Amino acid sequence: MKRPNLLAICCNWSPWTCLNAAGRTNTQLPPNLRIIRVMCIGRINQALILKAFEYGADGVILLECRDEDCRYGPGPAVGHSNVQLVRSLLDLLGIDQQRLVECRFEAHEKDRMAAELWAFAGRIEAMGANPAKPRQEREAV
Amino acid sequence: MDSVRITKIIRDNALYQCLECGKCSAACPRMLAGKEYSPRLLAQKLISERDDEAFIESSVWECLTCSLCQERCPSGVDISRVILEMRALLAAEKGLKGYRAHDGALHSWMRMMTSPDLKQNRLGWVSPDLKTAQKGRVAYFSGCAPYFDVFFAHLQVDTLTIARDSVRLLNFLDIEPVLLKNERCCGHDLLWAGDRENFETLCRLNYEEFKSAGIEEIIVSCPECYTMLGTHMPEVIPGFDIKVTLLLDLLQKEVRKGGKAFRPLETTATFQDPCRLGRMSGCYEAPRFLLGQIPGLVLREMENSGRGAICCGNSGFINCDAYSKNIQVQRLREVSATGAQLLVTACPKCMIHLSCAMRDPARNEKVEVNIRDLTSILARGIEWTG
Ligand code: SF4
Ligand code: SF4
Repeated sequence: MKRPNLLAICCNWSPWTCLNAAGRTNTQLPPNLRIIRVMCIGRINQALILKAFEYGADGVILLECRDEDCRYGPGPAVGHSNVQLVRSLLDLLGIDQQRLVECRFEAHEKDRMAAELWAFAGRIEAMGANPAKPRQEREAV
Repeated sequence: MDSVRITKIIRDNALYQCLECGKCSAACPRMLAGKEYSPRLLAQKLISERDDEAFIESSVWECLTCSLCQERCPSGVDISRVILEMRALLAAEKGLKGYRAHDGALHSWMRMMTSPDLKQNRLGWVSPDLKTAQKGRVAYFSGCAPYFDVFFAHLQVDTLTIARDSVRLLNFLDIEPVLLKNERCCGHDLLWAGDRENFETLCRLNYEEFKSAGIEEIIVSCPECYTMLGTHMPEVIPGFDIKVTLLLDLLQKEVRKGGKAFRPLETTATFQDPCRLGRMSGCYEAPRFLLGQIPGLVLREMENSGRGAICCGNSGFINCDAYSKNIQVQRLREVSATGAQLLVTACPKCMIHLSCAMRDPARNEKVEVNIRDLTSILARGIEWTG
Protein backbone atom coordinates (compact mmCIF):
# COMPACT_ATOMS: atom_id res chain seq x y z
CA MET A 1 0.00 0.00 0.00
CA LYS A 2 1.00 3.56 -0.62
CA ARG A 3 1.98 5.37 2.57
CA PRO A 4 -1.16 6.42 4.43
CA ASN A 5 -2.21 10.04 4.45
CA LEU A 6 -1.78 11.34 7.96
CA LEU A 7 -2.90 14.68 9.27
CA ALA A 8 -1.92 16.33 12.52
CA ILE A 9 -3.83 19.36 13.71
CA CYS A 10 -1.53 21.14 16.08
CA CYS A 11 -2.25 23.78 18.69
CA ASN A 12 0.01 26.81 18.41
CA TRP A 13 1.15 26.68 22.06
CA SER A 14 2.60 23.68 23.90
CA PRO A 15 2.36 21.15 21.05
CA TRP A 16 3.78 23.58 18.51
CA THR A 17 6.65 24.30 20.90
CA CYS A 18 7.34 20.55 20.94
CA LEU A 19 7.29 20.41 17.15
CA ASN A 20 9.59 23.40 16.94
CA ALA A 21 12.02 21.78 19.32
CA ALA A 22 11.82 18.57 17.30
CA GLY A 23 12.67 20.54 14.17
CA ARG A 24 15.60 22.34 15.81
CA THR A 25 17.11 19.07 16.98
CA ASN A 26 16.48 17.27 13.70
CA THR A 27 14.22 14.74 15.36
CA GLN A 28 12.71 12.57 12.65
CA LEU A 29 8.93 12.61 12.30
CA PRO A 30 6.83 10.40 10.03
CA PRO A 31 7.37 11.77 6.51
CA ASN A 32 3.77 11.15 5.48
CA LEU A 33 2.41 13.37 8.22
CA ARG A 34 0.99 16.74 7.22
CA ILE A 35 0.66 19.32 9.94
CA ILE A 36 -1.86 22.13 10.22
CA ARG A 37 -1.16 24.71 12.90
CA VAL A 38 -4.13 26.34 14.58
CA MET A 39 -4.27 28.88 17.38
CA CYS A 40 -6.18 26.52 19.64
CA ILE A 41 -7.58 23.03 19.29
CA GLY A 42 -10.87 24.53 20.49
CA ARG A 43 -11.09 26.23 17.10
CA ILE A 44 -11.40 22.89 15.36
CA ASN A 45 -14.95 21.75 15.00
CA GLN A 46 -16.47 18.45 13.97
CA ALA A 47 -16.87 19.58 10.38
CA LEU A 48 -13.16 20.26 9.95
CA ILE A 49 -12.20 16.86 11.30
CA LEU A 50 -14.76 15.13 9.10
CA LYS A 51 -13.52 17.12 6.14
CA ALA A 52 -10.02 15.69 6.64
CA PHE A 53 -11.47 12.21 6.21
CA GLU A 54 -13.64 13.33 3.34
CA TYR A 55 -10.56 14.66 1.57
CA GLY A 56 -8.77 11.38 1.94
CA ALA A 57 -7.02 11.23 5.32
CA ASP A 58 -6.34 7.73 6.63
CA GLY A 59 -5.69 9.01 10.12
CA VAL A 60 -6.08 12.30 12.00
CA ILE A 61 -4.34 13.23 15.23
CA LEU A 62 -5.16 16.31 17.31
CA LEU A 63 -2.15 17.66 19.19
CA GLU A 64 -3.48 19.52 22.20
CA CYS A 65 -2.30 21.27 25.34
CA ARG A 66 -3.20 19.91 28.73
CA ASP A 67 -6.42 21.37 30.16
CA GLU A 68 -4.58 23.51 32.68
CA ASP A 69 -2.23 24.94 30.05
CA CYS A 70 -4.83 26.16 27.55
CA ARG A 71 -4.31 29.86 26.80
CA TYR A 72 -7.97 30.41 26.09
CA GLY A 73 -9.79 28.24 28.59
CA PRO A 74 -11.79 25.32 27.30
CA GLY A 75 -9.76 24.41 24.17
CA PRO A 76 -8.72 20.83 24.98
CA ALA A 77 -12.13 20.03 26.45
CA VAL A 78 -13.81 21.25 23.27
CA GLY A 79 -11.32 19.20 21.25
CA HIS A 80 -12.15 16.16 23.33
CA SER A 81 -15.90 16.45 22.93
CA ASN A 82 -15.52 16.97 19.17
CA VAL A 83 -13.34 13.89 18.91
CA GLN A 84 -15.94 11.83 20.79
CA LEU A 85 -18.73 13.00 18.52
CA VAL A 86 -16.83 12.56 15.27
CA ARG A 87 -15.75 9.11 16.41
CA SER A 88 -19.40 8.11 16.74
CA LEU A 89 -20.02 9.35 13.21
CA LEU A 90 -16.95 7.50 11.91
CA ASP A 91 -18.20 4.37 13.59
CA LEU A 92 -21.55 4.68 11.77
CA LEU A 93 -19.62 5.07 8.52
CA GLY A 94 -17.67 1.92 9.32
CA ILE A 95 -14.41 3.80 9.76
CA ASP A 96 -12.25 2.49 12.62
CA GLN A 97 -12.53 4.95 15.50
CA GLN A 98 -8.79 4.58 16.15
CA ARG A 99 -8.17 6.57 12.99
CA LEU A 100 -8.99 9.68 14.98
CA VAL A 101 -6.95 10.33 18.10
CA GLU A 102 -6.02 13.18 20.38
CA CYS A 103 -2.87 13.58 22.40
CA ARG A 104 -1.92 16.18 25.00
CA PHE A 105 1.54 17.60 25.59
CA GLU A 106 3.43 19.98 27.77
CA ALA A 107 5.80 22.36 26.05
CA HIS A 108 8.95 20.37 26.86
CA GLU A 109 7.76 16.99 25.64
CA LYS A 110 9.25 16.88 22.15
CA ASP A 111 10.57 13.33 22.51
CA ARG A 112 7.26 12.00 23.72
CA MET A 113 5.54 13.81 20.86
CA ALA A 114 7.86 12.24 18.27
CA ALA A 115 7.26 8.83 19.83
CA GLU A 116 3.47 9.34 19.80
CA LEU A 117 3.50 10.45 16.18
CA TRP A 118 5.55 7.44 15.08
CA ALA A 119 3.29 5.12 17.04
CA PHE A 120 0.24 6.74 15.44
CA ALA A 121 1.77 6.40 11.97
CA GLY A 122 2.55 2.74 12.66
CA ARG A 123 -0.97 1.98 13.86
CA ILE A 124 -2.59 3.57 10.82
CA GLU A 125 -0.17 1.85 8.47
CA ALA A 126 -1.11 -1.48 10.04
CA MET A 127 -4.81 -0.69 9.57
CA GLY A 128 -4.34 0.02 5.88
CA ALA A 129 -6.22 2.53 3.79
CA ASN A 130 -9.40 4.10 5.05
CA PRO A 131 -12.15 2.07 3.37
CA ALA A 132 -14.55 4.97 3.13
CA LYS A 133 -12.78 7.31 0.78
CA PRO A 134 -15.07 9.15 -1.58
CA ARG A 135 -14.54 8.18 -5.18
CA GLN A 136 -12.75 11.29 -6.36
CA GLU A 137 -10.20 10.95 -3.56
CA ARG A 138 -9.41 7.35 -4.55
CA GLU A 139 -8.86 8.35 -8.13
CA ALA A 140 -6.49 11.11 -7.08
CA VAL A 141 -4.08 8.75 -5.29
CA MET B 1 -22.26 31.60 -16.92
CA ASP B 2 -23.45 29.24 -19.60
CA SER B 3 -26.15 31.29 -21.25
CA VAL B 4 -27.47 28.48 -23.43
CA ARG B 5 -28.04 26.31 -20.40
CA ILE B 6 -29.68 29.12 -18.51
CA THR B 7 -32.09 29.64 -21.38
CA LYS B 8 -32.95 25.97 -21.25
CA ILE B 9 -33.51 26.08 -17.50
CA ILE B 10 -35.79 29.07 -17.97
CA ARG B 11 -37.77 27.33 -20.73
CA ASP B 12 -38.10 24.05 -18.87
CA ASN B 13 -39.52 25.77 -15.84
CA ALA B 14 -41.88 28.26 -17.43
CA LEU B 15 -39.89 31.27 -16.31
CA TYR B 16 -40.65 33.10 -19.56
CA GLN B 17 -44.27 33.07 -18.45
CA CYS B 18 -43.39 35.35 -15.54
CA LEU B 19 -45.77 38.33 -15.37
CA GLU B 20 -43.58 40.33 -13.01
CA CYS B 21 -46.48 40.48 -10.60
CA GLY B 22 -44.22 40.09 -7.58
CA LYS B 23 -46.49 37.68 -5.71
CA CYS B 24 -43.57 35.33 -5.21
CA SER B 25 -41.46 37.97 -3.49
CA ALA B 26 -44.39 39.08 -1.36
CA ALA B 27 -44.87 35.52 -0.11
CA CYS B 28 -41.22 34.62 0.33
CA PRO B 29 -40.45 33.78 3.98
CA ARG B 30 -36.95 35.19 3.60
CA MET B 31 -38.40 38.49 2.48
CA LEU B 32 -40.95 38.44 5.30
CA ALA B 33 -38.17 37.77 7.76
CA GLY B 34 -36.62 41.07 6.80
CA LYS B 35 -34.12 40.11 4.14
CA GLU B 36 -34.09 42.02 0.88
CA TYR B 37 -34.73 39.03 -1.24
CA SER B 38 -36.76 38.84 -4.39
CA PRO B 39 -37.44 35.81 -6.54
CA ARG B 40 -39.18 38.13 -8.99
CA LEU B 41 -36.00 40.12 -9.45
CA LEU B 42 -34.05 36.91 -9.86
CA ALA B 43 -36.45 35.89 -12.62
CA GLN B 44 -35.91 39.24 -14.32
CA LYS B 45 -32.13 39.03 -14.06
CA LEU B 46 -32.08 35.49 -15.40
CA ILE B 47 -34.22 36.49 -18.35
CA SER B 48 -32.70 39.77 -19.35
CA GLU B 49 -29.74 40.82 -17.20
CA ARG B 50 -27.49 37.82 -17.02
CA ASP B 51 -24.37 39.90 -16.66
CA ASP B 52 -25.37 40.70 -13.08
CA GLU B 53 -23.67 37.52 -11.95
CA ALA B 54 -23.15 38.63 -8.37
CA PHE B 55 -26.87 39.16 -7.87
CA ILE B 56 -27.82 35.92 -9.57
CA GLU B 57 -25.31 33.91 -7.59
CA SER B 58 -26.28 35.24 -4.22
CA SER B 59 -30.00 34.85 -4.93
CA VAL B 60 -29.54 31.32 -6.17
CA TRP B 61 -27.65 30.22 -3.08
CA GLU B 62 -29.86 32.05 -0.60
CA CYS B 63 -33.21 30.57 -1.58
CA LEU B 64 -34.83 28.28 0.99
CA THR B 65 -36.32 26.18 -1.82
CA CYS B 66 -39.52 25.97 0.19
CA SER B 67 -41.71 26.42 -2.95
CA LEU B 68 -44.12 28.83 -1.30
CA CYS B 69 -43.59 31.22 -4.22
CA GLN B 70 -44.67 28.59 -6.68
CA GLU B 71 -47.87 28.15 -4.72
CA ARG B 72 -48.63 31.84 -5.21
CA CYS B 73 -47.41 32.24 -8.77
CA PRO B 74 -50.28 32.78 -11.22
CA SER B 75 -48.08 31.53 -14.05
CA GLY B 76 -46.97 28.29 -12.48
CA VAL B 77 -43.29 29.18 -12.42
CA ASP B 78 -41.33 26.54 -10.54
CA ILE B 79 -38.77 28.74 -8.84
CA SER B 80 -37.39 25.93 -6.66
CA ARG B 81 -36.64 23.84 -9.69
CA VAL B 82 -34.94 26.83 -11.33
CA ILE B 83 -32.85 27.20 -8.19
CA LEU B 84 -32.02 23.49 -8.16
CA GLU B 85 -30.79 23.56 -11.72
CA MET B 86 -29.04 26.91 -11.36
CA ARG B 87 -27.17 25.59 -8.34
CA ALA B 88 -25.95 22.59 -10.31
CA LEU B 89 -24.87 24.92 -13.10
CA LEU B 90 -23.11 27.40 -10.82
CA ALA B 91 -21.49 24.63 -8.79
CA ALA B 92 -20.09 23.05 -11.94
CA GLU B 93 -18.75 26.38 -13.21
CA LYS B 94 -17.63 28.13 -10.07
CA GLY B 95 -17.44 25.42 -7.43
CA LEU B 96 -19.80 24.67 -4.60
CA LYS B 97 -20.79 27.87 -2.89
CA GLY B 98 -23.55 28.64 -0.53
CA TYR B 99 -22.70 28.80 3.11
CA ARG B 100 -23.10 25.29 4.42
CA ALA B 101 -24.60 25.17 7.89
CA HIS B 102 -22.54 23.45 10.57
CA ASP B 103 -19.51 24.16 8.38
CA GLY B 104 -20.59 21.46 5.96
CA ALA B 105 -20.21 18.56 8.41
CA LEU B 106 -23.41 16.98 7.13
CA HIS B 107 -22.43 17.36 3.51
CA SER B 108 -19.07 15.78 4.37
CA TRP B 109 -20.55 12.58 5.74
CA MET B 110 -23.02 12.45 2.89
CA ARG B 111 -20.17 12.71 0.42
CA MET B 112 -18.17 10.08 2.27
CA MET B 113 -21.06 7.73 1.61
CA THR B 114 -20.23 7.83 -2.09
CA SER B 115 -17.35 5.52 -1.29
CA PRO B 116 -18.11 2.17 -2.93
CA ASP B 117 -16.40 0.11 -0.21
CA LEU B 118 -18.34 1.64 2.65
CA LYS B 119 -19.31 -0.88 5.31
CA GLN B 120 -21.55 1.03 7.64
CA ASN B 121 -22.51 0.21 11.18
CA ARG B 122 -25.83 1.90 10.89
CA LEU B 123 -28.30 -0.54 12.41
CA GLY B 124 -27.44 -0.21 16.09
CA TRP B 125 -30.82 1.44 16.69
CA VAL B 126 -32.88 -1.66 15.94
CA SER B 127 -34.33 -2.60 19.31
CA PRO B 128 -35.31 -6.22 20.13
CA ASP B 129 -39.04 -5.51 19.93
CA LEU B 130 -38.81 -4.61 16.24
CA LYS B 131 -39.54 -7.35 13.75
CA THR B 132 -37.36 -7.04 10.71
CA ALA B 133 -36.44 -9.45 7.97
CA GLN B 134 -33.10 -10.43 6.46
CA LYS B 135 -34.66 -11.06 3.09
CA GLY B 136 -37.86 -9.91 1.51
CA ARG B 137 -39.36 -7.64 -1.06
CA VAL B 138 -40.12 -4.64 1.17
CA ALA B 139 -37.48 -2.47 2.80
CA TYR B 140 -37.73 0.47 5.18
CA PHE B 141 -35.34 3.32 4.36
CA SER B 142 -34.02 5.11 7.42
CA GLY B 143 -31.80 7.55 5.56
CA CYS B 144 -29.53 9.72 7.67
CA ALA B 145 -31.51 9.16 10.89
CA PRO B 146 -28.66 7.35 12.70
CA TYR B 147 -26.29 10.18 11.79
CA PHE B 148 -28.61 13.01 12.79
CA ASP B 149 -29.21 11.24 16.05
CA VAL B 150 -25.53 11.59 16.92
CA PHE B 151 -24.97 15.00 15.41
CA PHE B 152 -28.02 16.72 16.89
CA ALA B 153 -28.09 14.92 20.22
CA HIS B 154 -27.45 18.27 21.92
CA LEU B 155 -30.81 19.54 20.61
CA GLN B 156 -32.52 16.51 22.14
CA VAL B 157 -33.89 15.58 18.73
CA ASP B 158 -34.20 11.90 18.65
CA THR B 159 -34.44 11.03 14.97
CA LEU B 160 -34.02 7.32 15.65
CA THR B 161 -37.28 7.26 17.55
CA ILE B 162 -38.91 8.14 14.23
CA ALA B 163 -37.20 5.18 12.59
CA ARG B 164 -38.16 2.78 15.39
CA ASP B 165 -41.75 4.00 15.44
CA SER B 166 -41.97 3.64 11.67
CA VAL B 167 -40.90 0.01 11.93
CA ARG B 168 -43.39 -0.49 14.79
CA LEU B 169 -46.19 0.84 12.61
CA LEU B 170 -45.11 -1.44 9.79
CA ASN B 171 -45.00 -4.40 12.17
CA PHE B 172 -48.51 -3.51 13.28
CA LEU B 173 -49.55 -3.79 9.64
CA ASP B 174 -47.84 -7.20 9.52
CA ILE B 175 -44.96 -5.93 7.46
CA GLU B 176 -41.51 -7.03 8.54
CA PRO B 177 -39.29 -4.76 6.52
CA VAL B 178 -35.75 -5.46 5.44
CA LEU B 179 -33.29 -2.93 6.86
CA LEU B 180 -30.36 -2.53 4.53
CA LYS B 181 -26.95 -2.49 6.20
CA ASN B 182 -25.45 -0.26 3.58
CA GLU B 183 -28.16 2.00 2.32
CA ARG B 184 -26.78 5.48 1.91
CA CYS B 185 -28.04 9.00 2.28
CA CYS B 186 -30.81 9.71 -0.25
CA GLY B 187 -28.70 12.61 -1.53
CA HIS B 188 -31.23 15.36 -0.86
CA ASP B 189 -28.83 17.79 0.70
CA LEU B 190 -26.12 17.19 -1.88
CA LEU B 191 -28.49 17.65 -4.79
CA TRP B 192 -29.86 20.86 -3.32
CA ALA B 193 -26.32 22.04 -2.65
CA GLY B 194 -25.61 21.75 -6.36
CA ASP B 195 -23.49 18.62 -6.01
CA ARG B 196 -25.12 16.63 -8.77
CA GLU B 197 -22.23 14.29 -9.33
CA ASN B 198 -22.18 12.92 -5.81
CA PHE B 199 -25.96 12.86 -5.70
CA GLU B 200 -25.99 10.64 -8.75
CA THR B 201 -23.34 8.38 -7.28
CA LEU B 202 -25.48 7.95 -4.16
CA CYS B 203 -28.49 7.12 -6.33
CA ARG B 204 -26.57 4.46 -8.21
CA LEU B 205 -25.11 2.92 -5.06
CA ASN B 206 -28.49 2.87 -3.36
CA TYR B 207 -30.13 1.35 -6.39
CA GLU B 208 -27.49 -1.40 -6.51
CA GLU B 209 -28.06 -2.02 -2.82
CA PHE B 210 -31.82 -2.31 -3.30
CA LYS B 211 -31.50 -4.53 -6.34
CA SER B 212 -28.93 -6.90 -4.89
CA ALA B 213 -31.18 -7.43 -1.87
CA GLY B 214 -34.11 -8.19 -4.18
CA ILE B 215 -36.13 -5.23 -2.92
CA GLU B 216 -39.24 -4.34 -4.90
CA GLU B 217 -40.74 -1.71 -2.62
CA ILE B 218 -39.16 0.89 -0.36
CA ILE B 219 -41.13 2.47 2.43
CA VAL B 220 -39.91 5.87 3.60
CA SER B 221 -40.99 8.03 6.49
CA CYS B 222 -38.91 11.11 5.66
CA PRO B 223 -40.46 13.44 3.05
CA GLU B 224 -37.03 14.43 1.72
CA CYS B 225 -36.08 10.81 1.09
CA TYR B 226 -39.49 10.41 -0.51
CA THR B 227 -38.90 13.17 -3.06
CA MET B 228 -35.42 11.87 -3.78
CA LEU B 229 -36.24 8.19 -4.18
CA GLY B 230 -39.64 8.78 -5.70
CA THR B 231 -38.95 11.70 -8.05
CA HIS B 232 -35.27 12.42 -8.56
CA MET B 233 -33.76 8.95 -8.45
CA PRO B 234 -35.83 7.68 -11.39
CA GLU B 235 -34.41 10.63 -13.38
CA VAL B 236 -30.93 9.29 -12.73
CA ILE B 237 -31.54 5.54 -13.01
CA PRO B 238 -32.92 4.47 -16.37
CA GLY B 239 -35.61 1.82 -15.97
CA PHE B 240 -36.01 2.49 -12.24
CA ASP B 241 -38.43 -0.23 -11.18
CA ILE B 242 -38.82 0.03 -7.43
CA LYS B 243 -42.02 1.18 -5.84
CA VAL B 244 -41.50 4.01 -3.38
CA THR B 245 -44.18 4.33 -0.72
CA LEU B 246 -44.63 7.08 1.80
CA LEU B 247 -45.42 5.63 5.19
CA LEU B 248 -48.15 8.22 5.83
CA ASP B 249 -49.93 7.31 2.58
CA LEU B 250 -49.74 3.64 3.44
CA LEU B 251 -51.14 4.26 6.92
CA GLN B 252 -53.95 6.39 5.62
CA LYS B 253 -54.92 3.67 3.18
CA GLU B 254 -54.77 0.95 5.82
CA VAL B 255 -56.69 2.91 8.46
CA ARG B 256 -59.40 3.70 5.92
CA LYS B 257 -59.87 0.00 5.34
CA GLY B 258 -61.15 -0.14 8.90
CA GLY B 259 -60.45 -2.44 11.82
CA LYS B 260 -57.80 -0.14 13.28
CA ALA B 261 -58.11 2.65 15.79
CA PHE B 262 -55.94 4.84 17.96
CA ARG B 263 -55.90 5.07 21.71
CA PRO B 264 -57.08 8.46 23.00
CA LEU B 265 -54.61 11.28 23.51
CA GLU B 266 -56.04 14.29 25.28
CA THR B 267 -54.15 17.20 23.82
CA THR B 268 -54.32 20.13 21.45
CA ALA B 269 -51.90 19.89 18.61
CA THR B 270 -50.82 21.87 15.59
CA PHE B 271 -49.13 20.56 12.48
CA GLN B 272 -46.08 21.85 10.64
CA ASP B 273 -46.44 20.93 6.96
CA PRO B 274 -42.95 20.08 5.70
CA CYS B 275 -42.29 21.67 2.30
CA ARG B 276 -41.11 18.35 0.85
CA LEU B 277 -44.27 16.64 2.04
CA GLY B 278 -46.84 19.29 1.21
CA ARG B 279 -45.84 21.50 -1.65
CA MET B 280 -43.41 19.06 -3.24
CA SER B 281 -45.35 15.81 -2.79
CA GLY B 282 -48.88 17.16 -2.53
CA CYS B 283 -49.51 15.33 0.74
CA TYR B 284 -51.68 17.55 2.94
CA GLU B 285 -54.56 15.29 3.73
CA ALA B 286 -52.95 12.12 5.09
CA PRO B 287 -51.40 13.73 8.19
CA ARG B 288 -54.65 15.54 9.01
CA PHE B 289 -56.74 12.46 8.42
CA LEU B 290 -54.51 10.39 10.68
CA LEU B 291 -54.39 13.01 13.44
CA GLY B 292 -58.16 13.22 13.16
CA GLN B 293 -58.43 9.53 14.01
CA ILE B 294 -56.95 10.03 17.48
CA PRO B 295 -59.76 10.51 20.01
CA GLY B 296 -59.18 13.48 22.29
CA LEU B 297 -56.64 15.13 20.01
CA VAL B 298 -57.80 18.53 18.84
CA LEU B 299 -55.99 19.88 15.79
CA ARG B 300 -55.62 23.65 15.67
CA GLU B 301 -54.20 24.93 12.42
CA MET B 302 -51.62 27.68 12.40
CA GLU B 303 -52.31 30.95 10.65
CA ASN B 304 -50.26 29.72 7.70
CA SER B 305 -50.84 26.06 7.12
CA GLY B 306 -51.36 23.52 4.40
CA ARG B 307 -50.39 24.98 1.03
CA GLY B 308 -49.39 28.25 2.65
CA ALA B 309 -47.33 26.71 5.44
CA ILE B 310 -44.13 28.51 6.29
CA CYS B 311 -40.78 26.81 6.09
CA CYS B 312 -38.91 25.55 9.16
CA GLY B 313 -36.21 28.04 8.21
CA ASN B 314 -33.68 26.00 6.36
CA SER B 315 -33.43 23.36 3.73
CA GLY B 316 -30.53 21.16 2.77
CA PHE B 317 -28.35 22.78 5.46
CA ILE B 318 -27.50 25.64 3.14
CA ASN B 319 -27.43 29.24 4.27
CA CYS B 320 -28.73 29.03 7.79
CA ASP B 321 -28.48 32.60 8.99
CA ALA B 322 -30.16 35.24 11.12
CA TYR B 323 -33.09 35.29 8.71
CA SER B 324 -33.54 31.55 9.09
CA LYS B 325 -33.71 32.07 12.83
CA ASN B 326 -36.20 34.86 12.32
CA ILE B 327 -38.42 32.63 10.20
CA GLN B 328 -38.25 29.91 12.83
CA VAL B 329 -39.17 32.26 15.65
CA GLN B 330 -42.09 33.65 13.64
CA ARG B 331 -43.19 30.10 13.01
CA LEU B 332 -42.95 29.21 16.67
CA ARG B 333 -44.99 32.30 17.49
CA GLU B 334 -47.67 31.01 15.15
CA VAL B 335 -47.53 27.76 17.08
CA SER B 336 -48.02 29.57 20.41
CA ALA B 337 -50.87 31.60 18.94
CA THR B 338 -52.83 28.41 18.35
CA GLY B 339 -52.54 27.58 22.04
CA ALA B 340 -51.53 24.04 21.07
CA GLN B 341 -49.65 21.97 23.64
CA LEU B 342 -47.97 19.89 21.00
CA LEU B 343 -46.25 20.71 17.74
CA VAL B 344 -46.43 17.79 15.35
CA THR B 345 -43.93 17.57 12.51
CA ALA B 346 -43.51 14.99 9.80
CA CYS B 347 -39.93 15.61 8.70
CA PRO B 348 -36.87 15.12 10.89
CA LYS B 349 -35.37 18.33 9.50
CA CYS B 350 -38.33 20.44 10.62
CA MET B 351 -37.86 18.94 14.04
CA ILE B 352 -34.15 19.66 14.02
CA HIS B 353 -34.42 23.27 12.84
CA LEU B 354 -37.37 24.25 14.99
CA SER B 355 -35.83 22.62 18.07
CA CYS B 356 -32.64 24.52 17.32
CA ALA B 357 -34.52 27.82 17.43
CA MET B 358 -36.37 26.82 20.60
CA ARG B 359 -33.18 25.95 22.41
CA ASP B 360 -31.37 29.15 21.48
CA PRO B 361 -29.86 30.07 24.84
CA ALA B 362 -29.61 33.74 23.91
CA ARG B 363 -33.32 34.21 23.40
CA ASN B 364 -35.34 35.46 26.32
CA GLU B 365 -38.70 35.04 24.72
CA LYS B 366 -40.08 31.64 25.45
CA VAL B 367 -40.95 29.90 22.21
CA GLU B 368 -40.48 26.38 23.45
CA VAL B 369 -43.22 23.84 22.87
CA ASN B 370 -43.38 20.04 22.97
CA ILE B 371 -42.43 18.77 19.57
CA ARG B 372 -42.99 15.26 18.24
CA ASP B 373 -43.02 13.48 14.96
CA LEU B 374 -46.34 12.30 13.62
CA THR B 375 -44.99 8.76 13.29
CA SER B 376 -44.35 8.60 17.04
CA ILE B 377 -47.79 9.90 17.90
CA LEU B 378 -49.39 7.31 15.65
CA ALA B 379 -47.18 4.45 16.81
CA ARG B 380 -47.90 5.04 20.49
CA GLY B 381 -51.54 4.14 20.22
CA ILE B 382 -52.56 2.18 17.16
CA GLU B 383 -54.60 -0.95 17.86
CA TRP B 384 -56.91 -3.47 16.23
CA THR B 385 -60.60 -3.05 16.86
CA GLY B 386 -61.56 -6.50 15.61
S1 SF4 C 1 -45.22 35.06 -8.80
FE1 SF4 C 1 -44.69 34.08 -10.77
S2 SF4 C 1 -45.40 35.54 -12.32
FE2 SF4 C 1 -45.35 36.67 -10.39
S3 SF4 C 1 -43.30 37.61 -10.36
FE3 SF4 C 1 -43.11 35.66 -9.29
S4 SF4 C 1 -42.44 34.21 -10.86
FE4 SF4 C 1 -43.25 36.02 -11.93
S1 SF4 D 1 -31.64 25.86 12.21
FE1 SF4 D 1 -30.08 25.06 13.58
S2 SF4 D 1 -29.97 22.91 13.06
FE2 SF4 D 1 -30.97 23.94 11.33
S3 SF4 D 1 -29.33 24.46 9.90
FE3 SF4 D 1 -29.66 26.21 11.24
S4 SF4 D 1 -28.16 25.95 12.92
FE4 SF4 D 1 -28.42 23.98 11.88
